[in-house]
Amino acid sequence: MSTIPELGVGIGWREEIDLTVERLPGVDFVEVVAENLHAHDLPESLRLLRERGTPVIPHAVSLSLGGADPLEMSRVEHLGAIADIVGAPLVSDHVAFVRAGGLEAGHLMPVPRTRDALEVLCANVKQAQAALSVPLALENVAALLEWPGADLTEGEFLAELVERTDCWLLIDVANLHANSLNLGTDAQAFLDVIPLERLAYVHVAGGADEHGVYHDTHAHAVPAPVLELLGELCSRVRPPGVLLERDDAYPTDAELSGELASIRAVVEASR
Amino acid sequence: MTPAHSPGSPGSPRERVALAQAELLRALVADGTAPSGFDPDRLALQSRSLLAKRTRVMAAVRPDLAEALGERFRDLFHLYAKENPRPTGTGYRADSESFTTWLHTHHHLPRTPRRPRWRWPFSTPRTP
Repeated sequence: MSTIPELGVGIGWREEIDLTVERLPGVDFVEVVAENLHAHDLPESLRLLRERGTPVIPHAVSLSLGGADPLEMSRVEHLGAIADIVGAPLVSDHVAFVRAGGLEAGHLMPVPRTRDALEVLCANVKQAQAALSVPLALENVAALLEWPGADLTEGEFLAELVERTDCWLLIDVANLHANSLNLGTDAQAFLDVIPLERLAYVHVAGGADEHGVYHDTHAHAVPAPVLELLGELCSRVRPPGVLLERDDAYPTDAELSGELASIRAVVEASR
Repeated sequence: MTPAHSPGSPGSPRERVALAQAELLRALVADGTAPSGFDPDRLALQSRSLLAKRTRVMAAVRPDLAEALGERFRDLFHLYAKENPRPTGTGYRADSESFTTWLHTHHHLPRTPRRPRWRWPFSTPRTP
């Protein structure tokens, strides 16, 4: 059975902050958006990080594993090629669909939590796993709407996904926080029911309230309740890795460094 | 009316999920009617959120268009986006070319060639 190595505390590598990521202290690993990279033309910054031995995890956003359209194997192969070129210990994508009925959503859409949708998701995940040479971790998404007719809670849905596909989990505590505020998801019950022994790593990100709705922007500081959820998770299991995502309105190096330190403090406090 | 994705509907699970997902996306990014069982306010919120993201991406991919259109950029892009949902497999590069053509066709921009500043293949200010 595959295992996930100790990853530590990391940050999402983005072209806009490549030099920052290189020089920040305490970056044990990075994640890259696979669709933004060429397998044969890696950015210099990523080559440098690899030379230092920093693990790089390719993170996909377009496989649409929760979608009913046939899985596009070229997208899986691209993810696999990036994983090979950076020597990745694992890869990840989301429990979501991004296209249907001939249209692109442009973002990660939640899947219905029905037996039908679970069956489709599991079949797609197994097909992707068969084409990948490293473990695949799947992430819970932040949703603004709820499908009617759910057969399972979000936690139960993920637990059954792991049970049936042997995939790993990437738990985004900011997304869990968002769903807790916006959809009334019970975060404690979620953490109670997911198989924590299959946790590969954790995402932490900032967001903002707007007209009574929490938006997972990745463009704001990480709010205290998200760090509290991270603490709650870490009190139950020691995650192999915890990664900060920042995608816009980049703050100073000092601020990013401070957020990484806050994350590390939460992780260490639970040990 | 029975929702298209109800378990008792005919077809395979994949076919039922396909119908439900297509119906939802049509309502969110095209001219589809709201599928039954969803909160209409949440559908509207999700629809606005997807449009806002597409607008941000377009402004990031084609800052030259955003600059040339100035204050008109947002409204014109929203008008274009509502008429032109992004077909499957269409990246942001193709979307930006389609938007440019639309702007010319509707005489919102003179036909002067501009250098596109996109990145391969659809570098998005990303996602969760």
